[in-house]
Amino acid sequence: MMKTMRSSGLLRYQNRWGAVFVLPALLFFSVFNFFPILNALYTSLFQKKVLSLDPPEFIGLENYRYLLASSSFWNSLRATMVFTLGTFIPLLIVSLLLAVLISQRRFGRKFLQIAYYSPAVLSSVVAAAIWLLIFDPRGLANQWVNYIMRTPGVDHNWFSNAVMVQIAAMLVYFWKYVGYFVIIFIAGIAGIPTAMYEAARIDGATSWQCFWRITLPLLKPTVALVSIMSMLQCLKTFSTQYLFVQSGAPQAPINVITMNIYNTGIRDHRIGRASAMSIILFIIMLFFTWLQFKSMKTDEVTY
Amino acid sequence: MRKVLLLLVLILGMTMILGAGGNKEAEEGPVTLVFWTHEDPNRTEIENRYIEEFQAENPDITIQRVTNSSSKIIELVLTAFAANQGPDIFNLSIEDEYAYIANRRVAPVDPKAAGYGSLKELEAAYLPGVLDPVKVDGKIYGLPLELTNWCIYVNKNVFRDAGLDPERDYPKTWEEMADVSEKLVLRDGDIITRRGFDFRYPYYLVGMVPMVEQLGGKLISDDGKTAIVGEDAWIAFLDYMKDWGPNGRNLGSPTYKNARSLFNHNNNDVAMAHTGLYQQGRIKSDNPDFYNSGNWMVVPYPRFENAVEDVAAAYYGHYYMVNGQSSARKQQAAWKFISYMLSHGEEYLQKVNIIQPTKALMESDTFKNMPYSDVFMQDMERGHIVYYGENSAKIQELIKQAVESVMLSGVSSEKAYATLKAEVQELLDEE
Repeated sequence: MMKTMRSSGLLRYQNRWGAVFVLPALLFFSVFNFFPILNALYTSLFQKKVLSLDPPEFIGLENYRYLLASSSFWNSLRATMVFTLGTFIPLLIVSLLLAVLISQRRFGRKFLQIAYYSPAVLSSVVAAAIWLLIFDPRGLANQWVNYIMRTPGVDHNWFSNAVMVQIAAMLVYFWKYVGYFVIIFIAGIAGIPTAMYEAARIDGATSWQCFWRITLPLLKPTVALVSIMSMLQCLKTFSTQYLFVQSGAPQAPINVITMNIYNTGIRDHRIGRASAMSIILFIIMLFFTWLQFKSMKTDEVTY
Repeated sequence: MRKVLLLLVLILGMTMILGAGGNKEAEEGPVTLVFWTHEDPNRTEIENRYIEEFQAENPDITIQRVTNSSSKIIELVLTAFAANQGPDIFNLSIEDEYAYIANRRVAPVDPKAAGYGSLKELEAAYLPGVLDPVKVDGKIYGLPLELTNWCIYVNKNVFRDAGLDPERDYPKTWEEMADVSEKLVLRDGDIITRRGFDFRYPYYLVGMVPMVEQLGGKLISDDGKTAIVGEDAWIAFLDYMKDWGPNGRNLGSPTYKNARSLFNHNNNDVAMAHTGLYQQGRIKSDNPDFYNSGNWMVVPYPRFENAVEDVAAAYYGHYYMVNGQSSARKQQAAWKFISYMLSHGEEYLQKVNIIQPTKALMESDTFKNMPYSDVFMQDMERGHIVYYGENSAKIQELIKQAVESVMLSGVSSEKAYATLKAEVQELLDEE
């Protein structure tokens, strides 16, 4: 009895100090993450202009009603979804395949990892600036495609055609982040016990069978992590599209939600409406994350 | 646990109290003015000297000059003001600055502090109309750092290379502009390797709305209630742009590198560019040989053959403004300092190639001796200030979409006009 009382006292003591240590992180999260979300939710209920000194007018859900009736907002949703699906699915598949190929190599593994990862350390602005030169009508993109397709002098309108400009944005993003996810997959593959492959080989399994029966099922948690991370990053994409538009590309095809939020809040000064848009984006991101967790069932993996 | 929480609350409270105390203005003693402006190395050089001189004359005033890129500074100033932490002095383009006046975020000019006997005397020192964009209810809320208009720069070498005589064949009308560009353009298949002329695509209000006005159209009606006035004029303008683009005569496109930056290098890739007097300083620094060669010239903004109005490109201005939330003492010091800087109009013109539209400068030999200053002056008289309402940036974006939809996406001019009119009208109605 005495022993139980002592141990519960110790537990309380430890819990108390645990809470103290967690508190700074919790405070930091609350101030820099949770408060802005709540503040955006609150602001979205007002007609508020950034520079106005007048008290904002409470309009309830009017900003949401306006957005749901706005063709510009629906176009932004479309642009975001097209970009996300067109980028994160190839990102997931190609980074997984590249990770498997690199993991199987005996030589040059480190070099390939660095080579693929290097674009990820560039800022998005620098990456977009490099690709702006490539997609210039007289740039490398037209030259490569014309060389491969044997169509000299054809302008593929990378920035002027509505479809091409979306593909161009996806290409830049894919190039920038594929190496980042390759590294995560390589770390995941390294965690799979080699004994499993050895046992499979003894039983006569081919490389293809090893990939489908061992690598992929055991990588499920990593696949879930990468797919959620890449999807969330794609939903939040901004700088590539912003720089493309600044360089003369048409805005409508690549007017993703984040760019619409920026233009509404910073250019048009309508911070209430921009906040409503960011809350909708937050809900969309939350929903897709939940959906992916549900569909992946990541906790089912056991060695 | 409660004690820890109590301690944290106390620390937070103390920080807030101390933070609030830190903002309190001293009524006496030294004053520090925070001055935000866009990057311009030539201007930085002379303004840093003005700061040193001003501080020597006014030892109780310190100026902190902070520069940022011209695109970045728009959002930096905006977010700083949104948080009530705006700089004491700043400048932006009038299209971006007007909202600060409309929302009462800036202080009116103190004529006495600025060295004028009265507001009337101050107004009399400037060209007529140039202070109108910053004048509300008889008060003036800014003093012009620069007023810029654009004319057409011509590279004579490229004209001669195409067998043209630049002095005789330069385009006087927009129809000639397209025809001359057709003679100057070089292509590799569809890809243009040399352009005759190309527009300044992001700047539709400055460079393109005047084309519509020449044809009898308007951006906003005189009573401010109707948007995109004059269907025929707008459709004729959109037809012209459609014909200019890659699906028409393929003379240029927003996706090519802007002609103004290529012009200085004299690389036989562009013959004409639409830009301001400041370009001369840039040609001089980028390519002094070309600057001194006499192989470039400046000609007026063209007009349509069937123009009903003689309108040149709109001019735009950067105005120095003072934060209305700064203390009265700081505001006074700020206007004194701004006035000191602006008293060097001739040096700004010589070193930075920007025009401060005072009568004294316009009548000075320095201005008159600047190459082609007469062309710029005459075009300025034909033009008007750019549209600068609170929604100007959004309206510019909508015009961009309309022009690009006809040039690049094959949308008919009639449809693009209808969409533009509906969207701009919705903006006006929302105000």
